[in-house]
Amino acid sequence: MHDMSAHAAQHGAPTSFIRKHIFSLDHKVIGKQYYALALVAVIVGMVLSWLMRLHLGFANFAIPGLHLLSKNGAPGDIMTPEYYLQLMTMHGTIMVFFVLTTAPFAAFGNFFLPIQTGAEDMPFPHFNMMSFWVTFTGFIILMASFFVSDGPTLGGWTQYAPLSAVGAVAGPGQGTGVVLWAFSIAFFCVGQLFGSLNFITTTLDMRCKGMSLMRLPLSAWAWFITSIMGLTAFAVLMPAAILLILDHVAGTSFFVASNLVINDSLLPHSGGSTLLWQHLFWFFGHPEVYIAIIPGMGIVSHILITNMRRPMLSHRVLIYSMGALAVLSYMVYGHHMFVSGMNPISSLAFSFPTLIITIPSTIIVLIWLGSLYGSKLRINTASLFALGFVSMFISGGVSGFFLAQPSIDIMLHATYFVVGHFHLVMAVAAIFGIFGGTYFWFPKMTGRMMNESLGKLHFWLTFVGTYCIFMPFHYLGIAGNVRRYQAFVDDYLIPLIPVHKFITVAALATGAAQLIFIYNLIHSRFKGAPAPDNPWQGTSLEWSTATPPPHNNFGDKMPVVYHDPYQYSVEGASSDFIMQTSSESVHSADEEK
Amino acid sequence: MSSNTQNGGAGRDVAVYICLLILAAIQFVISYQNISVGSMFERMLIVAIIEAALAVLFFMHLWENRGLRWFVLIFSIATTLGMQYGWTDSYRQLLGVPWAH
Amino acid sequence: MSQADLTMHGHPGAGVMSEPAFSVPAKKMAMWLFIIADTATFAGCLVAYGFIRNSTPDWPRPFHSITNVALMTFILLTSSLTMLMGIRSAEKGEKSGAFRWILITALLGAVFAVLHIREWMELLDTGVTIFHNPFGTPLFGAAFFSVTGLHLLHVTGGVIALIAVGIRYMGGRYKADDIEVTGLYWHFVDLVWMFVVPLIYLLNMSH
Repeated sequence: MHDMSAHAAQHGAPTSFIRKHIFSLDHKVIGKQYYALALVAVIVGMVLSWLMRLHLGFANFAIPGLHLLSKNGAPGDIMTPEYYLQLMTMHGTIMVFFVLTTAPFAAFGNFFLPIQTGAEDMPFPHFNMMSFWVTFTGFIILMASFFVSDGPTLGGWTQYAPLSAVGAVAGPGQGTGVVLWAFSIAFFCVGQLFGSLNFITTTLDMRCKGMSLMRLPLSAWAWFITSIMGLTAFAVLMPAAILLILDHVAGTSFFVASNLVINDSLLPHSGGSTLLWQHLFWFFGHPEVYIAIIPGMGIVSHILITNMRRPMLSHRVLIYSMGALAVLSYMVYGHHMFVSGMNPISSLAFSFPTLIITIPSTIIVLIWLGSLYGSKLRINTASLFALGFVSMFISGGVSGFFLAQPSIDIMLHATYFVVGHFHLVMAVAAIFGIFGGTYFWFPKMTGRMMNESLGKLHFWLTFVGTYCIFMPFHYLGIAGNVRRYQAFVDDYLIPLIPVHKFITVAALATGAAQLIFIYNLIHSRFKGAPAPDNPWQGTSLEWSTATPPPHNNFGDKMPVVYHDPYQYSVEGASSDFIMQTSSESVHSADEEK
Repeated sequence: MSSNTQNGGAGRDVAVYICLLILAAIQFVISYQNISVGSMFERMLIVAIIEAALAVLFFMHLWENRGLRWFVLIFSIATTLGMQYGWTDSYRQLLGVPWAH
Repeated sequence: MSQADLTMHGHPGAGVMSEPAFSVPAKKMAMWLFIIADTATFAGCLVAYGFIRNSTPDWPRPFHSITNVALMTFILLTSSLTMLMGIRSAEKGEKSGAFRWILITALLGAVFAVLHIREWMELLDTGVTIFHNPFGTPLFGAAFFSVTGLHLLHVTGGVIALIAVGIRYMGGRYKADDIEVTGLYWHFVDLVWMFVVPLIYLLNMSH
């Protein structure tokens, strides 16, 4: 199909430390850099959630040393209401952008997409390097907002106007904090644009001989679909962020309506629209949640197939369903705005596609469950986390049926019900995908195995802990507990405080369980058992190269692909799996012609 | 690196260029018509879309790239159309009702 | 990000298969993808402008003369034609001819930018700034300067990219295909202008 001789080595293996580990052009190093960034970000984000939970569960709880982080925000180590909101905003922003987008998509995608497609590297290595460093700059800018005079922004990760656009009058952090936030997001968008360009061109133009699109593993498909979404979603968020910056620094009022009075002072702005921000933001924001979850779907499918030792019921339908999710995700964004004062007709128009989008989601889940049914699943940490992903996705997805309908959403919107919904279906599910991917691919990435016993312990603690945290959220929401309250003083909320205490304890315990993972990660990196080339008897291209892969991924001999990605338990074959690179001929019903 | 741009020839480029100039002139003429902003907007947008289509298909040679043609057109059009949900809210802000006319 | 980075950082000859999907080499594919993303960016800006333009009852119409914008349109359209001439010369292997056309294109782009900045200056003189407008709502200034500013940024980047690519093409580092990819970007900038003119200028013209 493709002429491999055109694949001269793109760039020689680097020798200097800086080129090798810091400003590397190698997609594998860049993938690891993204992973490290996500790891740092997730630790920061998790610590923030601990602080928030402590404050919620135990009112006026003094957290030792908190005043060191912010003198004004936590005088006497007790969080002010504003500081609670600032931490919450940072938790959301860090997690959504720098963890859920960065880890499953940019980190694993960078490392494994070129390998799974049989490419030596991405077509634009310099862009790839810049993509990481621009993203990293965005992260540093966001972190810097902790240390400016009145702290980070408190507007929530959605930064609803007008309070995000009017400046410091709206509260601490709404001046400089928002500007830094918007700059950080703009940088992140540029980084994702570079990344997406590389991902798409790699998938379309760099596949090795014999690798047709349908022979790509499901994980590669997921990254491909995600990068197509990332291309346009982030391109719309960027001008929105820039307009927000202009509202702050240039005195415009795109997002501020006339005659707005805040804190008893009439603002000089005139004429803008607060809903405009929501339209621009959610046009990005809804594709974004699929950008976070679709890579997880691909990774989990890949792990499950390898451990079930048989392909999914349908390779194609799974791919088409992921594609349908991508397309529909652009048509449903208004369901975030049912109670924003949006036109009721629009609410109806957004409700239909929102209910329709459950169809491809359900098809994907049914394919997973149907394929799992009756299979002899190998139980290891990776497959456990994959099962955990399926479980979280179902639990979180079911509450989506309620929220998709405006009449019910009016009741539940902006309560803990929504918080529980999106944490399960998007955040924790994607995190389980990241964990699964880590346990599954760690041997290939580092050349060492992770500890399975610690991994299983980590899984069970995380799995049980996560449900303990997020299931009660639904109950809280139905009981009317509005999100973003920093204290529960109303009569109807006081009885709910024990539930909050329970959630806080569960969150601290689950967070502590992550230390096992960190220990396992670091210990295995240096002391783990050496990994064979194909520890899980997988079939896709990443398992046919050395561990860890050489600089140009496949050494001297570029791979040639003969089969569909998942030839497991094929009748008449010499072993229970046939590598994509194996020239052994098979006659299987699944083989695509 | 095969290139398809030899198709057409310089004559076609000039022809498209003249078409674009004429269409641009039509836009300027529309701006002198004594009609409401709404219908002026509609007419100008139609002309602009024709212009854009000519430029994309012939100046940027999308016409010769069959596969890419559908990829780019469907992708861009779907994305741009997806952004148009907001208009009803724009009208509500003005008039308090969803549709202006 | 401008064209310059794309062509400067891509590896010539690398990653190009004999038969890639859609028969499009990686660089050209990447430029098309960038154009799609940029379309979304400009569409986002123009929709935002249209949203507030539509919802503001007393939207001002401060433009009185079409001369300048007509001249700018003519120049930008012509520069697209000269760009095409450059690409055709490059494909025929006429290096100096191609270089000349590219320089003419860059020059036209520069003239466009100068005219544009002159127009900005005139508006600033009458008191229209990004946050102030003597004729009505200040949002006019905000929308006008941010949308045209974004476009002007693209034109400026394009002029720099054209010159850089042209010089490297003469030096032998870039091939005719790179000129074509740069041309895609330049035509796209032209294409965006076709929407900016009616929406930003002509709809705000008072006769």
